[in-house]
Amino acid sequence: MLLLILAIVSIPIFTIGLKLFDGPGESWSHIVKYVLYDYLKNSFLLVLFCSIIVITFGVATAWLVSRFEFPFRKQLEWLLILPLSVPAYIMAYAYAGVFGYSGVFSKFMEVIGINDFRVEFMNIYGLSFVLSISLFPYVYVSCRTFFLAQATNLLEASRMLGISEFKSFFKLIFPLARPAVIAGLVLVLMEVLNDYGAASYYGVSTFTTGIFRSWFSLGEPETAIYLSAILLIIVFGLILIEKWQRRKLNYTTPKSSKQNYNSRLKPKISNQIWFSVICFIPVFLGFILPVIQLLIWVKHTFSKVWNIDFISITLESFGIAFLTASVTVLVALLLLFFTKWNKIELLKSSSKLGILGYAVPGIIIAIGVLIPSLYLDKWLIEKNITSKLILNATLIALVYAYVIRFLAVAYQPLESSSLKIDRSLSDSSKVLGKGNFRTFFKIEFPLIRTGLLSAFILVFIDILKELPLTLIMKPYDVDTLAVKAFEYASDEMVSSAALPSLLIILTALIPAIFLNKLLLKNASNS
Amino acid sequence: MKRIIYLLLIAISIIGCKSDNKKESEKILTVYTHRHYESDQELFKRFEKESGIKLNVVNASADELIQKMSLEGEQSPADVLITVDAGRLYRAKSQDLLQSFSSKLVDSIVPKYLKDEDGQWVGLTKRARVIAYSKDRVDSTQLSTYANLATEKWNNKIMVRSSSNIYNQSLLASIIANQGEEFAEEWAQGVVENMARVPKGNDRDQVKALANNEGDLAIVNTYYIGKLLNSEDKSEVEAGKSVSIFFPNQETTGTHINVSGIGVAKYSPNKDDAIKFIEFLLQEEAQNIFAGSNFEYPVNSNVEPSEILKSWGDFKEDNLSLNKLGEYNKEAVIIFDKVGWK
Repeated sequence: MLLLILAIVSIPIFTIGLKLFDGPGESWSHIVKYVLYDYLKNSFLLVLFCSIIVITFGVATAWLVSRFEFPFRKQLEWLLILPLSVPAYIMAYAYAGVFGYSGVFSKFMEVIGINDFRVEFMNIYGLSFVLSISLFPYVYVSCRTFFLAQATNLLEASRMLGISEFKSFFKLIFPLARPAVIAGLVLVLMEVLNDYGAASYYGVSTFTTGIFRSWFSLGEPETAIYLSAILLIIVFGLILIEKWQRRKLNYTTPKSSKQNYNSRLKPKISNQIWFSVICFIPVFLGFILPVIQLLIWVKHTFSKVWNIDFISITLESFGIAFLTASVTVLVALLLLFFTKWNKIELLKSSSKLGILGYAVPGIIIAIGVLIPSLYLDKWLIEKNITSKLILNATLIALVYAYVIRFLAVAYQPLESSSLKIDRSLSDSSKVLGKGNFRTFFKIEFPLIRTGLLSAFILVFIDILKELPLTLIMKPYDVDTLAVKAFEYASDEMVSSAALPSLLIILTALIPAIFLNKLLLKNASNS
Repeated sequence: MKRIIYLLLIAISIIGCKSDNKKESEKILTVYTHRHYESDQELFKRFEKESGIKLNVVNASADELIQKMSLEGEQSPADVLITVDAGRLYRAKSQDLLQSFSSKLVDSIVPKYLKDEDGQWVGLTKRARVIAYSKDRVDSTQLSTYANLATEKWNNKIMVRSSSNIYNQSLLASIIANQGEEFAEEWAQGVVENMARVPKGNDRDQVKALANNEGDLAIVNTYYIGKLLNSEDKSEVEAGKSVSIFFPNQETTGTHINVSGIGVAKYSPNKDDAIKFIEFLLQEEAQNIFAGSNFEYPVNSNVEPSEILKSWGDFKEDNLSLNKLGEYNKEAVIIFDKVGWK
């Protein structure tokens, strides 16, 4: 069964991996000689800068909201997820607008009396900032899920031993949270590595812009796929190293009998205000400021851009995202379940293959999906079962492609929350004669429900923003908000793209708020 | 849990309704297009109304569409491929994805240099790559040719977008075709040395940066200036007004132009309708829309360009066969990489 699921989710990855043996196109030596170093250097720097920023923002905010009581904590809890709903390339445009010609920043400087002061924002530092601020919620969500379920007894013990709250954070909690931090960070870095829109707009040549350049500019898709395959191997290697490094560590936490989740600490009032401010900063930078810029643009363009179709497009986007997020989470759950009970170590490691779809640009995944699905289609025609392509440009192919693409986003939070489950629980269930399946659903499923909800929110938002796969694989008469936004943005009509972008953000609000409530309720019940 | 299942059912039914309303008997034409302008959507609607043929539009970048066509092979539903440059049509042709078609109407409208020599594709609209310069800081008599941009006097003054952009590649390809590879490399090197900043942003951003005093000259496509001047955003209009347009190479080969064009797919299931569609796009009604709302130069000489474009005056076009742009595209990219034009 694991084999079957693995096969389904890794066919596209394998299709791309196999292309490694076809070798690159004829311009390969040119690329190696002139540009590869630059690609590698910039990608490395980007990964480094982004890691630092997202860990700082993500872990700090997650820790504060789950451990302390302070003003506006409840609102900040879900507000902190929202930067994720702003597509990274739109965030890039928005910040370029803020710091650009007659932007909010220069107007602000004029007001305070400083003229002709320019901040050069469109460079690798600006890019790192833009990507980090829109992606740190991955780390925030997975860490918060972890902290909420964290048994307080460890902390109580540490406090009884006279260790301060902050010291125990660094000594105890941060190391314990490692799987959660890594789970979120892996997602952030995969997305940083596959970003094309923002990097090319800011003029930073990364590995992925290189993939696009060798395809679109040099006209060598084979070289592009070759580069992607290399990227896949690097990411896979890093994931395995991390897994191997923590293999001996056990992250299960003993549950205290009297867990009380309402026992948030109440620091003194000045600290409380500080905590509010700290949590507000990333919300402001990652959500409020770009939304203000978008609103300014919408004000200019609303009358021209708005039409009644946007209502149905919004509903369609919501429907597709909801459907696909459900399927993706289900597949991730099955993958996790069957990996857990599988005895073969090799298969266990290869379960990580399935999540690699997130590491390469969406368009490469599209090729990975198109090749086998068209192959199947053609085979059906050959056997006279069908007369034309039936999978091509249908919802089935699109949903399949999404699942491949976003499996990582669902799998990571699920895995990290299942790591904490005390194995003795399931073992006792099995000793009592219950099968794997029942044990999973009766014992483990309820325990990872919070992870499940986080996974769903993240995938939902991601699908809402998704672009390259949607463009090339969508059924003819289906439109999504992201497609609309892109149509304007690619025509350099960024201000017209603001309206569909805002609608994406609004649609993403629904699960972010609704599921967040469920998540909190679950956490306090379990 | 129940609520989630309900929501799921609603979601499925929304999408289900949407994809259910196809009529089997309807005539269908499948359009793979890289153009995503509002003007096109308007045109597509009109064509559907006039011809009764339903258009299935797949919108993505030309290279992705070419890849898709080649993977689909003989079963490809694509009837026509529309790109925003001649080089991509050349690429599709050289991968054997297009077929020749003949139409007297098309022949009578489109001049020879805007067409494929084997009749596999034609240009729909033209865009010129020109120099935008600051009205305050640049004396237009100092400007003359593209080659002039590589001379020392423009040191630290030029702004241009990344060489990943096809319009820059086409420009360099035309220079390779006209003056040879060696000259082209020296030219690109010279421009890189004169750049006021690392290439970034899009064409509009170059003009805005010009208005923001980050440099004095920018290499841009004409229709972006038209769009800036017609923007709803006041600051964009201001930026557009702060610059003037110069058509280079008027004394020599003429200003570099490129086309947005269309070709008939090799395995088009509806070739006759595809030709009908192409004829529709070249006739006056459609050409007027291209010219009016998207500020492109029409290929149909009976149609006048928009007022803004007319205000810049007539200019001499480079009549280089557009096939050359595709032919030298790769060389151009390799030169860009060598000289460090990001």
